[in-house]
Amino acid sequence: MSVAVAAVASTAANASCRHCGDGCDGSVSDPDRNVFCCRGCAAVHALLQARGLDTFYTCDASAGASQRAADGRDPDRFAVLDDPAVAARLVTFDDGVVASVTFAVPDLHCGACLWLLERLWRVDDAIVRSEADLVRRTVHVWFRPDRLSVRGVAERLAAIGYEPIVAAETPVGVVAPQARRLRLQLGMAGFAFGNIMLFSVPRYLQGAPLEGGFQRLFDVLNLALATPVLLFSAADYFAAAWRAIRARHIALDVPVALGLAVLFGRSAIEIVTSRSEGFLDSFTGLVFFLLIGRMLQQKAFDRIAFNRTYRSFLPLSVRVERKGGAEPTPIERLAVGDRVLVRPQEVIPADAVVLDDGGVVDYAFVTGESRPIDVAAGDLVRAGGRASTTLRLELVREVAHSELARLWSDPALGRVKRHWLEDVSNRFGAVFALMATGLALAGAAAWWPDIDSAAQVATAVLIIACPCALTLAAPLTLGTAVEMLGRRGLYLRNTAVVLDLARVDTLALDKTGTLTSAARGTTATPCGLSELEWRLVRRLAAESVHPVSRAIAAAASAHGDVQACREVPGQGLRGSVDGHDVVVGTASFIAKACGAFAGGSTRRTSVAIDGRLRGWVQLQTPPRDGIEATVAALAGTHQIQLLSGDDATDAPRWRPLFGDRMSFRQSPHDKLVAVRTSQADGRRVLMIGDGLNDAGALAAADVGIAVSDETACVVPACDAVIGGDALTRLPSFLRYVRHARRLVLVCFAVSVAYNVGGVSLALTGALTPLVTAMLMPVSSLTIIGLSLGGMHWLARELDA
Amino acid sequence: MSVIVLLIAAGGVVAGGFLLAFAWAVGSGQFDDTEAPPLRMLFDDPPRPTIASPTGEGHSHVHARR
Repeated sequence: MSVAVAAVASTAANASCRHCGDGCDGSVSDPDRNVFCCRGCAAVHALLQARGLDTFYTCDASAGASQRAADGRDPDRFAVLDDPAVAARLVTFDDGVVASVTFAVPDLHCGACLWLLERLWRVDDAIVRSEADLVRRTVHVWFRPDRLSVRGVAERLAAIGYEPIVAAETPVGVVAPQARRLRLQLGMAGFAFGNIMLFSVPRYLQGAPLEGGFQRLFDVLNLALATPVLLFSAADYFAAAWRAIRARHIALDVPVALGLAVLFGRSAIEIVTSRSEGFLDSFTGLVFFLLIGRMLQQKAFDRIAFNRTYRSFLPLSVRVERKGGAEPTPIERLAVGDRVLVRPQEVIPADAVVLDDGGVVDYAFVTGESRPIDVAAGDLVRAGGRASTTLRLELVREVAHSELARLWSDPALGRVKRHWLEDVSNRFGAVFALMATGLALAGAAAWWPDIDSAAQVATAVLIIACPCALTLAAPLTLGTAVEMLGRRGLYLRNTAVVLDLARVDTLALDKTGTLTSAARGTTATPCGLSELEWRLVRRLAAESVHPVSRAIAAAASAHGDVQACREVPGQGLRGSVDGHDVVVGTASFIAKACGAFAGGSTRRTSVAIDGRLRGWVQLQTPPRDGIEATVAALAGTHQIQLLSGDDATDAPRWRPLFGDRMSFRQSPHDKLVAVRTSQADGRRVLMIGDGLNDAGALAAADVGIAVSDETACVVPACDAVIGGDALTRLPSFLRYVRHARRLVLVCFAVSVAYNVGGVSLALTGALTPLVTAMLMPVSSLTIIGLSLGGMHWLARELDA
Repeated sequence: MSVIVLLIAAGGVVAGGFLLAFAWAVGSGQFDDTEAPPLRMLFDDPPRPTIASPTGEGHSHVHARR
C-alpha cells in the first residue's frame, strides 16, 4: 500500500492523526482518506492494515505512539545486533529451533499496545510468540533463529512503531526475587491469620475456654500455624532489628520485632503450659497487615528502576574503523585512539575528537541546551551527546573516564538523604522501645514477690506497647499514596518521599525537556517572511539533513524546483528555488554570500532572498500542552523558579509566569548552588528536571523529580520520576500528598491513644488476655480502615 | 467430637494443598505481571495458526494464552 504525500486540503487541518492522535496539518494521508501527523505513523498504519492488524485501532482509537522522531532514524541502527557477542546478551534462551529475546519498548502503554505486540506472529511468521509486560514495558519474543535474527526482531518491532531500546545496560526489568519472596511471605501470613481466626472465634463467642479437649486441639493447631509466620513471614523484621541493634541505633523495627517476639513467645509458653490460648491471632494479623503495607510500596517500585547507571544511556556497541571496514564493537572493548563511527540518533560513547567537518551534536540531555551544536574537525565532543549527523570520532578518553561517567558518579549525587519520616519514626521507635521496656520492668517490680503476676504484667505491657497500629499507619497510608500516584504517572522512590513532597514550599523547574518536550521536536516559525518566501525556504531546507533544516522543512512539505543547492557545514545553505536565490544560515554566512547584513543574535538563522535580507526563522521547542496553566496553578501555592541551561531566547514566553525568578545559561553547578541558596533561606525545595545537567540540583533538593517521556529511558539520581504526560497534574498530586501527611498524623494520634489506654489498663492488671487479644486487632483495624479508606477517598480528587 | 476432628483434619489437608498451589503459582511467575492478563482475556481474536509451541524454557506459562 502506498502512502500519498501531498500538500492538500485545508479541510483536513486540525484533524488528528489516525495512528497516534496527534494534531496534524493534513499533508500526509493515504488513499482511504486517513490523515497522519507524519510519514512514520502512515507507514505503521499501512503495515498494520496489510497484515490485518487494524483491530488495533478499535481496541483504543489513536493508540499508537507518534512516529515523528522515527523519520531521521538510521535504517542500520540495529546492525550492532548482528554481532553474536552483542546479541548473546539479549537472548535469554536458544535451543537452535526456538530462541527468545527481551526488549524494552518504552512506547508500550495500553491494552491496544499489548494486543498488537502479542500478535507479532502476524507481522512475521518466523516469530512464534510474543508476550508484553505492561508494568515493566518490555516485550519477550520467541522466534525461529534459523529464519530471523535478533536484529530482525528489533526491526519488526520498530516497523510497527515500537522502537526497542538497545543500550549497554539494558533496562529490561527482571522480576526481583524479593518481590516473589514478599508475595510468599504475605500468602503464608494471610493463610495462618485466616485459619487462626477460625479456630479463635468460637472461644471469643463463648467467652470461656472450649470444653471437650477442643481448646487444647485448637491451641496446638494455632501454634503450628503461627510458627512458619514467625520464622518465614516476619523474618525480615527480625533481621532489620538485628542490623539496627548492631549498628547501635534504635529504629522503628526494634520495638516491632520486640513486640512480635514477646507476642509469640508468651503465647507459646501459655499454650505449652496449657494456661491460656495466647495471642496468636493478633500476632499473625499484625504480620499480615505489615506485609500488605510493604506490598503496596513494592507494586509502585516495580514500575520503574531508579538506580540506573550512565551505562544504560550508552549504546550497546559502536562501529570501530578497522582495516577498511567498520565493525561493531561492544563499548567495553573501546580503547583510547579508536576511530569510531556514530550514526544519527546514536549517543557518543566517550569523550572524543571530531575527525570531519560538518557534524552536528545535540547535548539536550547533558547540558539542557536545546539547540544542536555544530562541530568541526578537531573539536572535542563529550560522551552523552546525541549525534544529529554521522560523525567520525577518535576517542580521547575511556568510556569509564568520560565526562558523563564523572557527572554520574559525582560523590555529591550519591549522598544518602535523611528523610523526615525516617527520623521521626526512628525517634518514635527509640522512645517506644525504651518506654515500653521501662514500664514493663516497673510493672514487674511493682508485682514482684508474685513472680507469676509480674511476668503477666511485664509481657502484657510489652505486647500492648508494641506500636503495631503506629507501625501500620505510616506504611499503609503512604504505601497507598505511592501506589495511587504510581498509577497516575508519578513514581516515588519510597514512602518517605510522600512526606517530603508534602512539605516543600519552593519549586525549581528546568526548561528544556521539562516545561518543553523533547519528543515533540523543534518547531520553526518564520519572522518577517511572506508565505511565498517561507515556502521557498522550506523547500530549500528539505534538501539538507542538518537538524535546523529538518525543523524548518518539517513545518509542512513544500514543492518547488531546487537547483545548485550548496551547504556549508555549520554555516548555512544556499540554492536556487523556482528561480529565486535563497540563502539560509548564520548572519556571517549571509553577509559572505550576498553582502546583506543580518543583525540580531549571531546564533539566529537568517534568510536572504535574491540578495536581500528578508527575515529570520525562530526555532523553539514547544511547551508541553497545558503546562502554562499548571505552572500558574503551582505559583498559587508554591514559590516557583526557572533554572535553565539554555540561552535566554525563550525568556519572553515564560516571563508572565515566572516574573524575574528566571535564570538562564545555568551550568549543572549553578543549578545546584541555586537550590542550596534557597535551602539556606530556610525553604524546602522541589527540583523538577530531566537532564544530567539537573542531576546535582535533583540530588541536593529536598525532593528531586526527574521528568521522563520514556519510562525505560535513563534518568539521573532522583527521589521520584514523573511521566511527561503526568506533569500537568502536579498541582493535584501535591495536594494529595499534603492530605496524606495529615492522615498519617491522625493515625499516629489514634494509635497513641490506643496504646496509652491499653498500657494503663495493663499496668493495673485489669487487662485479661482475652481483652488484650481483642484490643489489638481492633486498634489495628481502625488504623487500616482509616489509612486505606482515607487514601482511596482522597484519590478521587486526582482524577477530577 | 471425632467427626469434627476428622473434618478439621480434612480441611487442613485441603487448605494446605491450596497453600502449596499458591507457593507454586508465585514461584512460576504467575503474579509477576498482574496488569496484562486481565486485558488479554478481553481480546476477541481469530484462533492463531498452530505452530510448534516453544517448550523447555523454565519460565513459561504457555497454556494461559490462546
